Amino acid sequence: MHCQTGSWGSYMPTSRNTVGDPLERIERLASENAVVIFSISSCCMCHAIKRLFCGMGVNPTVYELDEDPRGKDMEKALMRLLGTSPAVPVVFIGGKLVGAMDRVMASHINGTLVPLLKEAGALWL
Amino acid sequence: MANHRVGETGLTDSGPSNHHRHIPYAALHGMNVPTSFIHQEGSAFDFGELEEAIVLQGLKIRNDEAKAPLFTPSRPAATLEMFPSWPMRFQQTPRGISRSGGESTDSGSAVNTLSSKTEHQIEPESPNSKKASSSDHQAFDQKPLQHQQHLQQQQQHQQQQPEMASDSSRTGTSQNQSPGKPPQEKRRGSTSEKQLDAKTLRRLAQNREAARKSRLRKKAYVQQLESSRIKLTQLEQDLQRARSQGLFLGGCAGAVGNISSGAAIFDMEYSRWLEDDQRHMSELRSGIHAHLCDSDLRIIVDSYISHYDEIFQLKAMAAKSDVFHLITGMWTTPAERCFLWMGGFRPSELIKMLISQLDPLTEQQVMGICSLQHSSQQAEEALTQGLEQLQQSLIDTVAGGPVVDGMQQMAVALGKLANLEGFVRQADNLRHQTLHQLPRILTVRQAARCFIVIGEYYGRLRTLSSLWASRPRETLISDDHSCQTTTDLQMVQASQNHFSNF
Repeated sequence: MHCQTGSWGSYMPTSRNTVGDPLERIERLASENAVVIFSISSCCMCHAIKRLFCGMGVNPTVYELDEDPRGKDMEKALMRLLGTSPAVPVVFIGGKLVGAMDRVMASHINGTLVPLLKEAGALWL
Repeated sequence: MANHRVGETGLTDSGPSNHHRHIPYAALHGMNVPTSFIHQEGSAFDFGELEEAIVLQGLKIRNDEAKAPLFTPSRPAATLEMFPSWPMRFQQTPRGISRSGGESTDSGSAVNTLSSKTEHQIEPESPNSKKASSSDHQAFDQKPLQHQQHLQQQQQHQQQQPEMASDSSRTGTSQNQSPGKPPQEKRRGSTSEKQLDAKTLRRLAQNREAARKSRLRKKAYVQQLESSRIKLTQLEQDLQRARSQGLFLGGCAGAVGNISSGAAIFDMEYSRWLEDDQRHMSELRSGIHAHLCDSDLRIIVDSYISHYDEIFQLKAMAAKSDVFHLITGMWTTPAERCFLWMGGFRPSELIKMLISQLDPLTEQQVMGICSLQHSSQQAEEALTQGLEQLQQSLIDTVAGGPVVDGMQQMAVALGKLANLEGFVRQADNLRHQTLHQLPRILTVRQAARCFIVIGEYYGRLRTLSSLWASRPRETLISDDHSCQTTTDLQMVQASQNHFSNF
């Protein structure tokens, strides 16, 4: 499994559901793939988190909120969800919220990230 | 008088019209003036010796008057002698004076004998009659003028005879260097060495020597001042550096220039934290040596972990107020700064160091530590790449596009720069998490030893920095490198107390 430096995973078209609770949409999108990252294309910390997963051999699904018509609403919803700003990057693994960069790194250091990834099927040893 | 020109000065009888600013009256009027006096500037004029000269001149004149009174008793010549081109030390008085008794007493010869009999060191004080004039001595100003006229009269009236007389007197006192009597005009301009007897020569030589020594002394003094000034600026630099590194405990809040208040506060807090660190370390050491039970040791280890929590909280606050202070590592010492990564130590490097120091470890522990090192490396790499992207983006913004809009450009750049704080915070978070993970892998005793190792390691880096900063500067100048080695060794030996007995 290699990481492409160009496009980040698959880009999901959002034409299906134009009306709806942004948070609902987030949760729906998060459950569709093993590793889902909500990001902003110009954000450097988002770049760092993407490189972290790629370095581990994981191929995450990335949603660039600045390229989504409803991105602004989703960003606000994420901010409410996390309780802190900035809203991105935020990672979902196996449909469950892991958190922002600090939580992801802490879980990687304390050794809980890799089992989680394996459990979600994103990583095979 | 003409017959006593000092040829070396190249003076003519033009008197005041010559261009030397500091020509004393004595020289102007043809007195014997050693060269050195002409070219000296502004040395103190000793009036004490002036008075002595006056008195003794009076003595001398009385003696002379008994013999061959050619001068009027008003004695303006006496005043002329008071502007000595030499401070006269009249330790040999009557004998010397009477020796000149046979001479004619025109002012020139009188002066000549006075100076010729002084065989001691004559200090090269520049008479600077123009400068030295003061209200006290205004009387003198007028008399030399009178005397000048007087001299000129005398010169006209007593052209040959005084010269002959002085010549004859000189033969009496010293060897005669010139048997002939050249006309006065010739003698005025030319080097009249024949006119100078040995005593005069000796005196002149002594004066020159004294002047030279005085110049050397002055030069040495100036050099000393210069080197002291350089040392002072270096000391100030060292002081500023040491302060910014927090080596001066608690004494520098905002006091050092170019340091923001947030940075100064952090430096103060950090130095206090370092003190606490020493205390915790000694607790850990004594706990291990006392063979405390695990639960007791665990308490000490946990308190050390919360001690680390403190510094990361402080760093988080400092990152908000002055992220550059953290990123540039100005809060640490130079040796620590060598290894700086994103405002602090690199966790994977620390773990690598620990692996070698923490033997013996079980296989499981080794795996745990290696996996910790591995994840840490991955996280470091990710953060580094994120920071690199930030830097590249910043470069693009600052360089600007085809249309450069200054304020807009700056605003965008400022926004990007604000992201630095996030990276430093994440790096600190990584360090923090790593330090928390270590005691989970190790036993309590191993964890205690581990923290001692870490504390001592950074303590040694700090010691290295201060030794480096205080190494003697002279070794930079001298080319004797063996000297440098010896000094460094001495310094190291002197600082043995920095090294713990662990």
